[in-house]
This record gives sequence, C-alpha cells and structure tokens, in this order.
Amino acid sequence: MSREGFVPPSAANLGNAASGIQALKNYGVKYVCAQCAVNFSLSPKEPVRCKECGHRVLYKARTKRMVQFEAR
Amino acid sequence: MSTAQFRTLERENRFKNPPKDKSAFPLLYEAVKPHVGSFNALTEGPDGGLLNLAVKDIGTKTIFDSNDVDRLGNKLSIRIDSVQISKPSINSKDKLSLNKNTLPSECRERMISYKGKISFKVSWSVNGGEEISEIRDGGSLPIMVSSNRCHLENLSPDQLVKYKEESDELGGYFIVNGIEKLIRMLIVQRRNHPMAIIRPSFANRGASYSSFGIQIRSVRLDQTSQTNVLHYLNDGNVTFRFSWRKNEYLIPVVMILKALIESNDREIFDGIVGSDINNSFLTDRLELLLRTYKNYNLHSQKETLAYLGDKFRIVFGLTPDISDIDVGKEVLKRIVLVHLKDNSDKFKMLLFMIRKLYTLVAGDCSPDNPDSTQHQEILLGGFLYGMILKEKFEEYLQNIKLQVQSDINRGVAINFKDRKYISRIFTRVNENIGQKLQYFLSTGNLVSQSGLDLQQVSGYTVVAEKINFHRFISHFRMVHRGSFFAQLKTTAVRKLLPESWGFLCPVHTPDGSPCGLLNHLAHKCQITTVASDVSKVPKALFKLGVSSTESSISSSGPNVCCVQLDGKIIGWCSHEQGKIVADTLRYWKVEGLNDLPIDMEIGYVPPSSNGQYPGLYLFAGHSRMIRPVKYLPLNKKDILGPFEQVYMNVAVIPSEIENNIHTHVEYSPTNILSILANLTPFSDFNQSPRNMYQCQMGKQTMGTPGVALCHRSDNKLYKLQSGQTPIVKNNLYDDYGMDNFPNGTNAVVAVISYTGYDMDDAMIINKSADERGFGYGVVYKVEKIDLGRGRRNGEPITQHFGFGNDEWPESYKEKLDLDGLPYIGVLVEEGDPICAYYDDILGKTKIKTYHSSEPAYIEEVKLLSDEAGINESQLLSIKYRITRTPLIGDKFSSRHGQKGVCSRKWPQIDMPFSETGIQPDVIINPHAFPSRMTIGMFVESLAGKAGALHGKSYDGTPWKFSEDDTPADYFGEQLQKAGYNYHGNEPLYSGATGEELRADIYIGVVYYQRLRHMVNDKFQVRSTGPVNSLTMQPVKGRKRHGGIRVGEMERDALIGHGTSYLLQDRLLNCSDYTQTSLCKSCGSLLSTQTSVPKIGTMTTIRCRRCSNKLDNSLKYNYDELDLWEDGQGSKFIGGDNTTTVAIPFVLKYLDSELAAMGIRMTYNVEPK
Repeated sequence: MSREGFVPPSAANLGNAASGIQALKNYGVKYVCAQCAVNFSLSPKEPVRCKECGHRVLYKARTKRMVQFEAR
Repeated sequence: MSTAQFRTLERENRFKNPPKDKSAFPLLYEAVKPHVGSFNALTEGPDGGLLNLAVKDIGTKTIFDSNDVDRLGNKLSIRIDSVQISKPSINSKDKLSLNKNTLPSECRERMISYKGKISFKVSWSVNGGEEISEIRDGGSLPIMVSSNRCHLENLSPDQLVKYKEESDELGGYFIVNGIEKLIRMLIVQRRNHPMAIIRPSFANRGASYSSFGIQIRSVRLDQTSQTNVLHYLNDGNVTFRFSWRKNEYLIPVVMILKALIESNDREIFDGIVGSDINNSFLTDRLELLLRTYKNYNLHSQKETLAYLGDKFRIVFGLTPDISDIDVGKEVLKRIVLVHLKDNSDKFKMLLFMIRKLYTLVAGDCSPDNPDSTQHQEILLGGFLYGMILKEKFEEYLQNIKLQVQSDINRGVAINFKDRKYISRIFTRVNENIGQKLQYFLSTGNLVSQSGLDLQQVSGYTVVAEKINFHRFISHFRMVHRGSFFAQLKTTAVRKLLPESWGFLCPVHTPDGSPCGLLNHLAHKCQITTVASDVSKVPKALFKLGVSSTESSISSSGPNVCCVQLDGKIIGWCSHEQGKIVADTLRYWKVEGLNDLPIDMEIGYVPPSSNGQYPGLYLFAGHSRMIRPVKYLPLNKKDILGPFEQVYMNVAVIPSEIENNIHTHVEYSPTNILSILANLTPFSDFNQSPRNMYQCQMGKQTMGTPGVALCHRSDNKLYKLQSGQTPIVKNNLYDDYGMDNFPNGTNAVVAVISYTGYDMDDAMIINKSADERGFGYGVVYKVEKIDLGRGRRNGEPITQHFGFGNDEWPESYKEKLDLDGLPYIGVLVEEGDPICAYYDDILGKTKIKTYHSSEPAYIEEVKLLSDEAGINESQLLSIKYRITRTPLIGDKFSSRHGQKGVCSRKWPQIDMPFSETGIQPDVIINPHAFPSRMTIGMFVESLAGKAGALHGKSYDGTPWKFSEDDTPADYFGEQLQKAGYNYHGNEPLYSGATGEELRADIYIGVVYYQRLRHMVNDKFQVRSTGPVNSLTMQPVKGRKRHGGIRVGEMERDALIGHGTSYLLQDRLLNCSDYTQTSLCKSCGSLLSTQTSVPKIGTMTTIRCRRCSNKLDNSLKYNYDELDLWEDGQGSKFIGGDNTTTVAIPFVLKYLDSELAAMGIRMTYNVEPK
C-alpha cells in the first residue's frame, strides 16, 4: 500500500469502522420513513432503519423516472 | 318533515383540520364502548381492576418438599400478588429508535402483534415465615387498540391522524400478526338470578331425576362464573349439581344447607315453607327432603363440612395440612353461589331457589325462557380475556407445584429457602402467558382446564374485516348466541322474541344458517362494563318498608315479594308494597335521590296465576344490556334493562301515550334498529326481509374502508373511487359519520323494460356513466416477500434483495429499480419480476414473479425491519393496485335489497331520454318490484329526484310519515314545484328511434352500491388444462385453472334429455379419455406392453400374460420373426392378439387397485 492511499483515521470514517458498517455504494434509490417522512437513500446490506428516527418501516419513494402508460 | 344536510364544507374542513379536542362523532365511540370498556375494566376500577381481583381469588398454593406419607416436610406457600400490563413498546435492546412506543400502525404494516409486557409479582413464604416477592415477566400480551393500555387512548382526531390512524379510530380490536381481530360478544345466562327450567335432558342424569331444575349462573367479582343447578328428583328430593374442571358433581342440597351455617331442620323448613303450612304438596316434600338426609347421620355444621371436605379433598387438590372442615369451607367458597360472600346469604338464596323449584314442580309458576333477552346478558370480550388470563395464572401456580413434585421424584435437592432453587423453578416453568393469549386471539380456540363455564371451545374471535365501514362497525355490535346453538335442530333459539325490543335489532341478522343466532345490538343499546355503586340501595329499600331478612325469618314463597339485589336477598314485603317500592325506587333513581344508580334495573315481577315467579329483582352489575328511555313522570332519561322492560309500559311514540298506563316513552322509534338497519332510507315502506337483505349487502359493498389506507397492509382491500354522499339519507347517517366512508353513488334510475338485457334482475348501465366513473373501484392486494423464511435463527443471511454482479437478463430492468425492487407505479402482468435477490450459495441473481392473471400497478413497496432491527432487509411487502371498472357480470344493489348484475353497458346515444334531456345511468326491470314490494325504493327514487332538483338532501328516516302525510304527496309536491310530474313518472323517448314511449316511465335518483362480488374474481373457464396425475381427470378449483364438475344431478339431467352424445363428451372426452391396449385373448388391460423394436420393424403391443418366455429349457420350433423382446432383453413368443380401446383412464386405475387386492378384471372385446 502506498503512503498516498493511506487515509488517517478521522471522526467520520472511524465511526463507520467502529460500528462495523462497510461503506457500500448506494444506488440512489430513495426511501421514505413511515414515521418521520424523511427522505434518504439506503445501501444494500444496511439494516432497515430510518436515518433520523430509527423507525422500522420504510416506504420506497416514487421514481423520478418518467412513468408513461399507453393512453387509450 | 325535516330535510337532511349535505354538510359538504363542514366535512371538507374536518378532513383538512381534524378536530383538536374531541371527535365529531361521539356515537361511534359509544358503539365500541362495550369492547374497550370491558378491556379497561381489567386494569382499572376498584381493587386494582379485574385481573388483580382474579389473582386474589386464585389464592395461595401450598407445596411440600417431602414425598413421605407420614412427614409433610417444608411448606412453601406461593401466590401471585398483583399483575401489571404495560403499554406496547419497542425491544429494550433497541437503542436506535427515538420513539420507544410501538404504535398500532407499525404493527399493521410490519404484520406483527400489538403487544405490551405483562408482569406479575409472585410472593412466597416458607413454613409461614417472611414473605418474599419477585416480579416475573409473563411475556407480551396482545393489547386492545384504544384501551387504557394503548397509546391511542383518548387521543383527539388530530393526534390520531398524526399517529397514522383514521381520524376517528375507534379501537376495540386487537392486532395479531398484522390482522385486526376482535373477541365477539356472546349471549349467556343472566348472572345471579335463579332461573326455572324444564329441560327433558335433566331427566337423563339418573334414575329418579326429573326434568325440573333451577339454574343460577353465579359470577365472582373477577367476572368468572360458576353455574349451580338444583335438580328435582321424582321422589321430592333436591340435589345440587355443579361442574368443576369439566366434571359434574351432585350433592344433596340439605348437605350444602347444613354445611353453610349452623342450622336445624326447623330453620330450613321455615325458610322454605314460610307461612304456607297448609300447602301439603310443599310440606310433604320438605318432610321427605329432611328425612332422607338423616341417612347421612351428619348432625352439626362441622360434621357436614368434614364429610364434604373428605370427599372433595382430592378433587380440589388441597394439601393434607388443611383439616377436612377447612376443605369443606373451601368447597363452599369456590362452588356454592360464588357471587355471595356471606354464608348466611348463600343459605337464604339456596332456600329461595328450593322454594322456586317446588313452585315450578307444583305448576304454580312458569319456567323461565333461557332464549329470552330477559334472562340473558352479554359476555364481553375484555371479561373473557380476563377469565382466560386468570386461568393461565392458576395454571402457572399449578405448574410450579408440578415442577417441585418432579424434582422430588427425581431426587433433586430441594431447598425452598434458597433463592437459587426458587429461581430454578421459575426458569423451568413456562411463564409466557402472553403467548397463550396470542394463540387464543389468532385461532379463537379456548384451551382451558375448567372450560370457563362456557359451552364452546372455539369460534371466540373473528377478523374485523375492513371491506367497508358498514362491515367494520357491525363487527363491534355483533352478538352471538354461541356456536353450541348452531348445531341445535330446534329453531326456538333463533326466534325473534318481543323481549328483545330495543336491545337486539329485529332486522339486522343474516339469512341462512346463522339466522337469529348472530344478532346485532340496537344502536342505542349499551352494555355495562362497570358495576354501579349499590351500597345505598338496601337503606333505601328499608326506608320504603321492606323488612330485612333478619326480622322476617318465616317469609318465603311466591305469596310474598322477595326483594333481591344482584342475587342477594335483601328482604321481604307484600306484593302490593312491592309495586310501590318498585315505582318509588324508579322515581328516586331517575330524580337522583338517595344515591341510587341510574342504570339500576328494577325488575318487579307481579304475582300472577302460573306466571313468572314473582318478586322484586334489582340488578346493577356488569354485562347487562341497557338503553335510554324517557321517564314520563319526570320527563327525564331513565335507563332500562331487558328484565324490567317486560313488565313495563313503554310508549313507542308520544301520541300513543295513555294516562296511567304508560310510564315511559321511546326517545325515537328508530332506537330499536341497529346502526346498519337505521341507514336504510324509508325502510318502513319495505317488506321486512328486504331490509334484512340490505343489512347483508351493505356489508358486502365495495365502499370506502378508510382513508389511512397507505398505512395499512391488509391482504385484500376494496375501494370505490367515486363514492358520494346519498341525496336521501337518514338522520343517523350523519351522526355516525358515514360520509367519511361513502358506500355508493347516486344514480338516475329508470324502471323500464327497454332492451331485453334487463330481464331477471339484470341492470343496464349507461356506458357514458361508466366512463364518467360510476361504480369505478380498485382492489388493493398485499404480497409479503420474506427471504428469511427458510432460515433458522442464528444462520447467516444468504439471500439479499438487489442485483448481483453475475449476468442476468436486461429485461428485469423494465420493471425493477437498481435496488432490485419494482418501480412505484409500474404495471406488472403475470410472470413479470416483482423483486430481484442475490443468492450467495448459488451465486446467482434470482427473481420473484407476479402470480395473477390480472395486471396490477405497484402501489407501494415497504421495507420492513426484523424484530431487533440490526440486520439487512429480509422482509418487504408490496401493495398492488388492481383496477376494477364495472364489467358485465359485476353485482350492484340499491339500498332496498334489490341486487342485480350488470348485463350490458349500453351506449348513451341509445339510452332513452326524458323531456329535459336526462338519460338514466341505470335501467332496471319493472318485474323487480311486484313480488318484492320494496316501496321504499320508489320513495327513495322520488325523494332523490326531488333532492337533486332542489339541491337538497332529504331525510329518509323511517316512521317520519304517516297515512295522512304520505311521502308520495310530500315529494310529489316538491317535484311539481320543480316542474316535474307529481308521481315521478316522465314521458321517455326511445334513444334508438326518438319516438315517445307508449307509457310514462318511473325515473328518479337512487343510491346504488357496488357489491364486491365481481366476475373477475369468479369466472372459471377451461378447455384443456391441468389434470390429476392419478386419475388423469381435470383438477378442481378456479385457482388451479380446473374444471367444474358435472355431478350426479347434472348427469341425470343429461340422461333425462337423452343427449347421450353430450353426456359422453362431458363424462369421457372432456375428462379422462385415454386410448390403451388390451389383450383380446385374456381380456386384460394391465398385461400389455410395447416390445423393443427390432431392426427394420416397428414396435408392437404384446400381451405378456399370453406369451411364453423363451429360455433354454423350452425347445420347440419357432420362427425368429415371431419372437419379441422386452426392455430387460428377455425374449418372448406369442401374445400378439392385442388391440387398442378407448376407456376412461380411471378404469385403468381401478383395475390396478383391484389387482392389488387379488381381483382380476377381464374385458370381453368383440370382435375377438
């Protein structure tokens, strides 16, 4: 490992390491907390908990992508 | 005639700004009060609620640590001191959540149970020493929503909305695995009142038993009950019967009397006979009663108690350190008239019962009808819940005893003084009481040692289905007679009796098998959930001249008026005095004098010749049905019960009141109807069964189940998109807030036979009305996807939602997002992926597919956490939205039991039109009316038309019109004012030709309901499809794409018509037609087989049975060409006389089955 690749432990990444959560990429899919309605994204293999209030039910947010149906 | 209001703005505003103080619909809360109140009574009220009373009643269990016969050993006295139930909260290990409360909405979404911790304090002492206590955890107990153990208790509509509930969430149900369940109310015998019964089955009990009996259902403070029966024996004797732990015991009644108090024969004689010494029927029998008892040779109370104790020690499981006398006392305490504390009260009551029995036998009083509401009360869900809890606590103490016993037997060192040993016992005994209650709620099965004095073991709970609000609210007003009566051949229990007036709705009962057994409470009927304070009642009675029991030893029998309060004899007076006492008491209690509770029932039964046993019976306890009625002397509200109502004169309408006859008048004649029956407009104009049908159909309507649907995960939910408030509604419609949950659409209905598509209860829908959204609805279905289902606790997670890095079809991306879950709003059809997951073990990305022939839109995707909330997502629920436009074959109905099926969507241009250019939305056939006589529907049509023309809403409450003031005139005038025909008829013009029709057509506006029975859920077609592998016949069931059976009767019809070709087609060709080979020589179906083809030839069918195996020993001439070979390589000769026949495949199966039993079938086929 080169010296450049080494990142000294900071408050941010230490917290993740200590809690055992791997920093995984998330797909940018948004979820809405059923309790406090906060909008956030979730990484795969992350527990289903609201980032704000820790609630245990999350709704998938409606897609930003255009949804078009055939009009008759 | 009053008009109703639309109140559109009011409603709009209420939805935008839910009330911050209290609900706008107090009546709705009243409706579920019996449920919530009874649950609340478990933990609140005097002495810490029913649960604490229950554990007190269980008492102390004694355990000894020795098995020796002559040595008892150390004594452990253990009891449950108190019980506590806490509000539902999250797992204590969960540190992430900000809100520590578990709310009902979360339980519905996550499909878990709404449970709170139950804990109890166990106290024990060793050898009578100092008492030690420990609080034990009893697991999680399902909590009733909106009860005092629920977070929603007393919340304002505004707060409820914030808690993701309906603005008027009523509660009264439990949430078990995400399903809303409620304990249904049961009708049981009225408590603490001895009932005279003549039942032929009583005579089957023994040699000299007769059919006469007196039965009393005695209820303890904790609401558990014990039934005592006095049996009359043909020789004049009386035995006392009770059942304990499902076993029945019989004791001579004199033995009980003598054991209760120190008495003598004289006292018993006087107490029963009183002043009727000349009644030789009575004196003869009493002499015999007392004489036969002499055989027992028991003289004092102590001797009797010791005798009883000796006999019942084992049955009651009492330890040897208690004397026989104390055991006897315990038996009396637990069994005999348990509603009374004092033994002398029990003694007096028993004497009264004996006298009532003799009176019944002599024919001087009539038997009481157990099917009449007069002798009934309601067993409420909360009380039943408490009874089960009590039993589970008792079981818990028993299990501790059994655990110690097994330790003794196994030789484990026992030291009661050692906390470690006690803890060991606690850990070895099942303490999870909550789980047992959860089982009860989810299955409705009662697991009980004692049977809880009830007649059934299952069917106690029902799902509170949210098909629409009518259905939902009806569940809470439903009373069942008990499933025991459902099997009864006699229909007497189902009869509608006048006694139930005002308490049970005469209209709202289903037709068919539960008819009359499943009733609904009248909308003003309440059930008491707390006992009223009656401490001042005896004083008031004595003030009115009732002589106390002490001063009137020799009063007895039907010639004097016995005054009882909740099954306790207070005193006696003359009958004339009794009437005055009853009337004065009523005046006092309505006026609020002398601290008499207003809901006290004053049942004065006057003396009569051979009628009901007379007396003055006062009731103020739990579980009684009560209803408000206006008391005329004071013009104030009085509360009536079913016992007293029978002997009272209540005028139905004020004009009916006659001086010196009526004491009360109904507040409104509609008070006798249930909530649903009250919503049928002009129901007084209909033939009564039609109103019953409407009550049924209102509950099957595709309406509005609620507004907080996005926070629910019901398996299936129906919703009408275009719900409207009816133009014609009853005044109670608004009081019950039915506009929050609209159940139908106003439609212009023409009664005309127009196209031929409207015959036989079919209806034609205007195609343009359909396109405008008439009756348009959707069905929401929820699918739960659990990846961790096969995974056991502790195993690692191997399946993850989302796509893996392997190769998978690009087409998945059309429906699925990057997270492997479907896009919200995407249309899925059968076979489309609904979620993708990566399987670690296989190293592959897999999908779950959509399984339903109906396309659906993805409405919601919910990610659900597991219990601890530390693992990744394994559980999700997908809500589908299936659109349901009205189709041909969908069912509709008006509110008058007039249901019909849509037979055609007729183009608007071809529909008839009126002079004003109105075209009907719906056409129904005139033949729907003459035999059904639903005049209410005509009136509604008229009122709806007038309402639509004037922009008004009209009141359809029954009994508002009279013979002199008819609705036809009232609404006729309204129509005339608007320039329409007085009678509601209009000339219509044919849509096809434009010609005026030869008759005026009745056309108006009727509220139509769309019923949830839709063709899309019902149609079943098949030409070919899956077959049963054993019989090769088509499978059955719509779900499996099966066929419809042509059964025996259908077959008979085809035979009768001589349509043999059709018959063969149905029974053979379209079923299990098979071609098979058969040996003509031996006639066997099973012995043919195909031979292995030789080079240059085809395979042949040969009969193995008729061929000879070619082995070396067999030496004769053969042609090499005649030989054939089977799969094993063995060579055979002969057996070539085979043919092919067509048979049903089951024949082959039958043949094989018979062959297995050693029976051979031969078939003679011609030509040979």
